[in-house]
Amino acid sequence: MKKVFAILSILFLLQACNRDDIVQPVSYNNPELSLNIPPGFPALNNSVNANKPTKYGVELGEKFFQEKRFSANSTISCASCHNKSNAFTDNNAQALGIYGRVGLRNTPPIQNMAFMKFYNWDGKILQLEKQPLVPIITHEEMNSSILEIIGKISDDREYRDLFRKTFGDENITADRIYQTIAQYLYTLISAGSKYDKIKRNEGDTFTESEARGYEVFREKCESCHSTALFTDQSFRNVGFPLNPNSNEAGRARVTGIDADYMSFRVPSLRNIEYTAPYGSFGQFPTLRSVLDYFDNGVLDAGNLDPVLKNNNRRIPLTGQEKEDLISFMKTLSDSVFVGK
Amino acid sequence: MKNLKKYLLVSVVLSALISCSKDDKDPVANNVTLHFNNTFKSNTIVLGNAASTTATTNTSAEGQVHHFSELKYVISNIRLIKADGTEIPYNINDLDKGATVVNQAKSETLDYTLSNIPSGEYKQIKFGLGVKQELNTLDQVKFPTFYANAGANETEMMWEWGAGYRFTKLEGFYDSDNKEMSIHTGSTIEGEEGAYTQGVDAYRDITLNLTGNAVVGRNAPKITIKADFDKLLSGKTNTIKLTTGTGMNDNATPNIHTAVQMTKFVDNLGGDGSSDITGMFSIDGVEN
Repeated sequence: MKKVFAILSILFLLQACNRDDIVQPVSYNNPELSLNIPPGFPALNNSVNANKPTKYGVELGEKFFQEKRFSANSTISCASCHNKSNAFTDNNAQALGIYGRVGLRNTPPIQNMAFMKFYNWDGKILQLEKQPLVPIITHEEMNSSILEIIGKISDDREYRDLFRKTFGDENITADRIYQTIAQYLYTLISAGSKYDKIKRNEGDTFTESEARGYEVFREKCESCHSTALFTDQSFRNVGFPLNPNSNEAGRARVTGIDADYMSFRVPSLRNIEYTAPYGSFGQFPTLRSVLDYFDNGVLDAGNLDPVLKNNNRRIPLTGQEKEDLISFMKTLSDSVFVGK
Repeated sequence: MKNLKKYLLVSVVLSALISCSKDDKDPVANNVTLHFNNTFKSNTIVLGNAASTTATTNTSAEGQVHHFSELKYVISNIRLIKADGTEIPYNINDLDKGATVVNQAKSETLDYTLSNIPSGEYKQIKFGLGVKQELNTLDQVKFPTFYANAGANETEMMWEWGAGYRFTKLEGFYDSDNKEMSIHTGSTIEGEEGAYTQGVDAYRDITLNLTGNAVVGRNAPKITIKADFDKLLSGKTNTIKLTTGTGMNDNATPNIHTAVQMTKFVDNLGGDGSSDITGMFSIDGVEN
């Protein structure tokens, strides 16, 4: 009996050893991608350093971005609203989701996300990894759930391969999905516009109109649309026509602070040519209509931005200045970024 | 073989004896049922649509008549406090096992049974109205049951844009012309406890002293918790007048989903977290 026990325990030990061997991670090669950070850009969001883009992570994230099975009836992907050729917007006043349901707001462009501190018009999201879940579950967007998505793709050979290449195993988890989508978005850096080339002395020059527009911009716009991102990332009430939807309160929806009521994040002007219509729910069909509105006078509000409050609720602009400003704004278009 | 049979017999008899003796003593644990009585003052609420003649109506301190068509809230983070002060947490970090949506339209949700509560005398109950920050992430993987329950079409206790749960959802009508009222609460807080970076914390911790000790053991006590929704508009912290419109201070429907007006309702329902730790809740009675 003792002998049997001894043999058994040796066998058991051996087995345990074997098991250890199997558990050893399969070696895989998924190099980190170095982000090409343009000169003059602000510091990276801390989350980027905790979730650095990798070769296969980005590939997987991009595949997810295009994945229509993210929506309940497999018709809507992230890219359905965030269309690359429109600087990742959709040209609708308000986003159109599953079954043509209309969202609360205008689809924001996706660019230079790695450098942003706030995401969404109201800045609710501070880490990009926390963003994908929101459209997935929202009734007007994809109307699905993360387990539903994992269920749909779990037998997909291509995904299994990519997970193995990215993480060393084929486990499809919610966090991995969120992380890889964010990794892909971190790589979407736009700094290849005519403006950038001029700033980098790469031979380009402004036309006369663009140069005049740049002067007007510096005088009348730059205090908000500042930094290399062309937004100071502040939240301001600029007296735009109000969204009648009862769910809208701008930044105040998040902060609960009266002074944030109907304040929205200052949008970047990069690639603005491609992202019409404008405003938090697409109030303005063209850049000209935005400038006309500022020129004619905005709605008053208790918390109207001081820049407007102290100037009779106006940014006065002549017809010529508007034309020049639009010419200048078009120098912020990055045709390579949007693939045109 | 004979021996084996003998042993078997002995062990059966022994185990029978042991289980008998157990029956004689108090069990080491038993259930505690929480019954939620949702009222306007002392009247249990009957829901109804705009034209309803049977719905329970209430008049606020500001003189506004109102009634509800929908009444839901989340209870979680339940703790029972023994007479000696020992705190017995009930699955406080597991929404599937320790949180529930109370829905006035579904009578089975008005009773929530806490199982396997250690025997003893209990003098106090603590619970959360809503979901504490660290669990409020709509994590379907971790808590599939609560996620499914809260997200069900007839429940709608998810706040998608806030990536968290709704803590209360009240729909109804006010004033003689039955204007719509729609009051939702939930957290928008970001960051770690003690170092919040932005947003409003709508979670409220409630502490209620029991009217008499709940004695868990041979008996499975039932604690009736009254939630007096009169407090919604006429609370200890705020007296609220409902107004309909699109202005910053209109609170009946527009903007009420927003944090600005929401906090006043949250403080009335769940207390302000400092001077008021009961909000609309009180103990109706304890049955042992």
